[in-house]
Order: sequence, then structure tokens, then C-alpha cells
Amino acid sequence: MAAGLAGTQAAAMRDAYDVVIIGAGHNGLTLGAYLARSGLDVAVLERRHEEGGGLCTEEITLAGFLHNVHANYHTFVDMAPPVGDLEVREHGVEYVRPEVQMASVFDDGTALCIHSDIDKTCASIARFNEEDAETFRRLYNEAHGFIDLLLGTLMYQPPMSVKELTKALSAFGVDKRSEFLSVKLRVETIDKFLDQHFTDPKVKAHLAFHGAVCGYTNDVPGLAIGFPLLAGKIDNWHLCIGGSHRLAHALWRDLAQHGGVMISDAEVASIAVDAGHAVGVRLADGTEISARRAVVSTVSVEQTFLDFLDPAAVSRELRGRVTTDVKHKDWSLFSVHLAMNRFPEYAAASFDPDVDRAWVVNLGYGSPAELDADWATIRGGGLPAPRPNAAVNSLYDPTDAPEGYATGLLRQFAPFALANGGEAAWDDIGPFYGRKCIEAWRRFAPNMTDDAFLATTVFTPFDIARKLPNMVRGDWMMGEISLDNMLDQRPLPELGQYRTPVERLYMAGSTQHPHGFITFGPAYNALQVMAEDLGIEPWWRKI
Amino acid sequence: MPAIYTTEWYEAVREAINASVAGIKGVPEGAWTCRVEIIGDSASPYVQGGAERHFLVRIESGLCSWYREVDPGDEAMVLDYRFRGPAAVFDAIAAGIDDPIDAALRGAVKVRGDMRFLMRQADLVKTLLDAYATAVDTTWPRGRPPYEGSTGGSPAGDTGGNGGGSRSGGDTGGNGSGSRSGGDIGGNGGGSRSGGDTGGGNA
Repeated sequence: MAAGLAGTQAAAMRDAYDVVIIGAGHNGLTLGAYLARSGLDVAVLERRHEEGGGLCTEEITLAGFLHNVHANYHTFVDMAPPVGDLEVREHGVEYVRPEVQMASVFDDGTALCIHSDIDKTCASIARFNEEDAETFRRLYNEAHGFIDLLLGTLMYQPPMSVKELTKALSAFGVDKRSEFLSVKLRVETIDKFLDQHFTDPKVKAHLAFHGAVCGYTNDVPGLAIGFPLLAGKIDNWHLCIGGSHRLAHALWRDLAQHGGVMISDAEVASIAVDAGHAVGVRLADGTEISARRAVVSTVSVEQTFLDFLDPAAVSRELRGRVTTDVKHKDWSLFSVHLAMNRFPEYAAASFDPDVDRAWVVNLGYGSPAELDADWATIRGGGLPAPRPNAAVNSLYDPTDAPEGYATGLLRQFAPFALANGGEAAWDDIGPFYGRKCIEAWRRFAPNMTDDAFLATTVFTPFDIARKLPNMVRGDWMMGEISLDNMLDQRPLPELGQYRTPVERLYMAGSTQHPHGFITFGPAYNALQVMAEDLGIEPWWRKI
Repeated sequence: MPAIYTTEWYEAVREAINASVAGIKGVPEGAWTCRVEIIGDSASPYVQGGAERHFLVRIESGLCSWYREVDPGDEAMVLDYRFRGPAAVFDAIAAGIDDPIDAALRGAVKVRGDMRFLMRQADLVKTLLDAYATAVDTTWPRGRPPYEGSTGGSPAGDTGGNGGGSRSGGDTGGNGSGSRSGGDIGGNGGGSRSGGDTGGGNA
């Protein structure tokens, strides 16, 4: 029984549960909490010392400075059903929706701000192009009209196929009814969508940048299909007060209050299969845990099918496809975490003072073409001249740093493997590139001189993969965002509905539809499938 | 020509829907219960501002088998779909001057339920909606939409609320002004109900 685990863990662990979930990220915890509330006996196993996965907040610069090492932006608050169903606010989560959500500062000293107030956003856009401002208002209003339908159709249901969606959009005549929804979106890039509807390159740059931060690369064909939803929630970015890990803790609390357990330091070595059915797991320390009704993996497809399952349990064909056909993002994120003694003061504040209150700032991309050029560099393993985005959480969360101080986060789009030296080269070049990112920030915020920083810690794409092995190749989305890796094709067609060829083994992590980010979608959708299979009354379904 | 929201009108709508579905192949088997929530918005003279009228509609194998009005606070029936919006919008749809799909796309009518099924049955759904919107020649004893001051915007209140507020007005005869409660307006029952029938639907 639980040999090798810490005493409290061993004491808490039992030999068998109804459902065993691998991975205590937000999807694993969410699914576990729903199942526990449904009366099932649930264990969520976590390799690391704590729950959360990407909901990871650590004092990685100095004591007292709370840094979100992975997930920082919560954009589905009050849109995702689990936020209410699992009472995360009642469990202590406090969100703030910054008044100035995001901004872009440009080389010519101008700035564009996205506010929580659409009128202010449109006023900011109008300073660049009045017609673009009106177009954006129409897009935003139209998207707000159908956002519930989009969320219900595309995010919080097991996925349909693109073919089915296209057929339905045609049957409903959406092309004729909507200025912005079209069946053609499924083949178009976000760049093309922007070119069709907007004029000013800086306006287009900001909208393309916003898509990229959400994982929707602006030059990838087919991703225009997601742009109306992105536009509709462009001002729904929320900051989790006290750090993103608070959400993980709330989900754990809900799981525990309903009889489930989260067991940390429990590294899974294999999934036990008997007569084609998943029946439990074996931990790295040899502990065996039975699953009476189901095993769920929320980690990567590669870990699940190549590492955890015996080759005899999976067809050679599927193993081959997992090896060669699972698609990962072709760019990752390089981060610089900063402990600071001041807030940035942007030169562009003379153009628009609100930029100094912007939570997240794009530093310098002035057109989609500039982004596209960097994507090309990154796909070749090169390092672009840094144009990071800067997030200062302390502007809206005074609890994340000592009084009078602030945290900062610079994020730069970057390759996982460098052309010279592969991913391991990050360990050498990371600190240097981090300094370059700070210099890029200083170009727009001159007061961020060296003495502004008490400490800096870089976190490279290689670090992402080392810290969270489920983020294969630093893939923070746990799968490419592209049309052939969306909906029921994600991560592979035979795994696209959360079931697997192994009976009673389910996939419920960000490898699945809809994708990564704090959407709760993979867990919520897997829940629907499991409820059907296991005969669980869907108490959460509020019609 | 039946007056809007009278028993005769609902019967005519039901017959129109069923007639339109009769010619469709591949209508899915199964039964679905839908709730239509019409919110008084001060624009429509058929549902007073602040009041709501809620209707249950049962679809079996594509055909409307029964319908009835329920109290807004009565949530006893397990639902498959909920449609909620301002009275002026529902009136305009029934008058054929607003389109139900447009209304849903702009968020004027909120839809809750399994969207995949609606998308997969888009042809059938469109046929049902077209029948509802255009197949009945309706009379409007208290005035015909569009009404002055009607915006067609988002409905008041939450998108998935369950009503519960008091309601008044909205009699099925279309010309009264007295308050009422309960009261089926058609259909032949099935599931829980309260109040007395004012109609006589026949599944």
C-alpha cells in the first residue's frame, strides 16, 4: 500500500477507487470534482508535489513575489460552466477583470488599448481608423449576440466535425445573415479575415497579436473560424487574485469536500489493462491502484499511449500515429519573471495615458506581417529580435508583491528547439535572451532601467517541457491549434470523442477538444461522454 | 384567422409544423421537451411588462404532440431545450417580420440545450421555425408588430433563468385584461400540469 509515498499520502491512499484520474491540472481536478459530486469515489493522481499543472504560482524570483509560471490569463470566466457548477468563487477564488485589459505600443509612440468598456475600446481604435472602430464594434456586438451559441456549440459539447458545422451553417443561411460568420472561415487565416474587414495595420496587428496570445497563430489557414469567438471575449480577460494556483486549490477543495482525493507525488508508470479494459494504474514506486469504473488520462497522448500503456494493449497502428501524427505547436513561450520596485511608464502614455494601466502590453508588433516574419524565424529554430508582451499583474492584484513592489512577466514567442543546439541550448542562451527582452521593454518604457529589477528568472520553452512533461516540446496548448487538429480531429480522429480504443480509458486533458488554456472544456466535455457511458445523472446540465 | 397566442392560434401553428415535417425524410426518432419563455417587455401588448409567459412544447419524432402554458415558477418538467426572449421579438417572429435564426444569432432569443443536435438537424429545425414564423395567418387584436420602442435586443434578465416571478395578463382569448394563472392552452397533457385546460389539443 503506497510504499515510498509520504506518510500522509500513504495513509490517504486506498487500493481502489471508482475512477482514477491521471494529472491534477485544472482539467483533472474539474472532472474529478464533477464525478465526486456525482457520488463516485475518485482519486486524482499528480506527479508533482502539488495540484494545479499549468495553474502554477511560485515565488521564483524572490520571497513575497507571486509569479504565474504558466497560466496567467483566465478568459472564460463566467462563460465556462464549471466556474459556477463547482462554486470556485465560494471556494475562495477572486477574479478581477482589469479596466484596461490589453494594449499595443508602437514604434511611432502611439498606443491602442482594449478596455473592459467597449465604447472606450472603440474610441481607442478610432484614433487609428474610425471605420475600423465601427467595424470592430459591429464584430464585437455580433459576436456577443451569438457567443452563447458558439460556446454551446463549439466549446462545451463533445465536438462535431467541420463538415457537420459547415452543413449546418449553410442550412441556416448564416452566410447571408452574418457580416462576420461564413463557411469560408474554415479555410482562411486570421490575417485574411483581418484584411477583409479592417484597414489600419496597427489595428490589425493588435487583433492578430491577441489571437496569437490565445494560441491562434494568425498565419495558419482555417483559424479564422475561431476569430469571432476571440473577438467576442477580447475584454473578458480575468486575473486570479493571489495567483492562478488559487483556482487549482479551489478545485481541489471542491473535490475533497465531495469525497474525492488528490494524491501528490504519485507518478504514474503504467495503466493496467485487463481483457481490453483499463482497470487501474501502477505508480513509479510500485503501488497499484485499481479503478472499478474508469481510468482517465489528462496528460499527453504520448505519455498515455507510448509510456503508460503496454504495447500489447494498443494497436501498432495507433502507436505509430501517436508517434508521427500528433501535432504540437510550432512555437512556444519564453518567459522572464521579474521582481520590480516600480510600475512601467510607457512613452506612449503621452499619446494615451491608459496604456500605463494596461494589464498586458504588446511591445511593438505594428502589423500582422511583422508577426508573420517572426513566425517564419521561429519555425526555422531562430530567435527573433524580441518583441515580448509585458504583463504587470500587480497593477490589479496588490497581493502578488510586497507593498510598493510589483511583479512583471515578459513573454516572447520562441522556438522549442533552437537551430543551433536544439532545446538544450536554451540553458545557455536563456539569460542573455532574457536581458534582450528587458531591453525591448525599456525601449517603450524607459523607466524600466536595470535598477527597477530586484531579481529576474527566465523560464524557457525547455523549462516548460521539463517542469510539465505533458507539455511536449514546450507545447503549452498540448496540441497544435490548426483546423486538422481541432474539434473531432483533436488529437487524432480515433481519440476525438474522449473515449479511447481501450475500454474504460478516457482522455480529458488539453490534448482534447477544445484545446489548452483555462477553458475547463476538455474535462467538461469528457464528463458528458463518461456520464453517458457510466450512467451518471447529469445534475450539472442546466437547461 | 386565429388571434395571436390563442388556443386556436397554437393549434394552427401545431398543424402547420406537423404538416411541414410530414414531407421531410430522416426525421430523428425520439422525444424532446422545449420550454419557450416570453418576457413581457413593455413593447408587446400581449405580455405585460414585468410578466412572463412560459410554454412547454413536446416534439416527438419531429411532430408537435402537445403544448401547454405553465406557470413561470413551475420547473417540474425535465427539459431538452429552453428558448427565452422578449415578447416583442416573439411577436415579430410570429408576424413574419423577424427571423428566428436571426433572433438567436443576435442573442435576442437565448437558446439552451444540446446545440449539437440542433446543428445536426439544421434542415428540420429550419423547417419547424419557418412553419412557426410564416405558416399561420395571424390576427393581432391589440396591434401588430413592430411596436414603437421595440428594440429586438437582448432580453431582460438572465439567459437561462427559470422565471419564478409573478405574471399576469396574457389570456388565451387575446382580448381580455384580467389576471390569470395556470391554464393549459392546448395539448392533451402528459407530464405534470396545473390549472385547467382552455384548449383541446389532440397530439
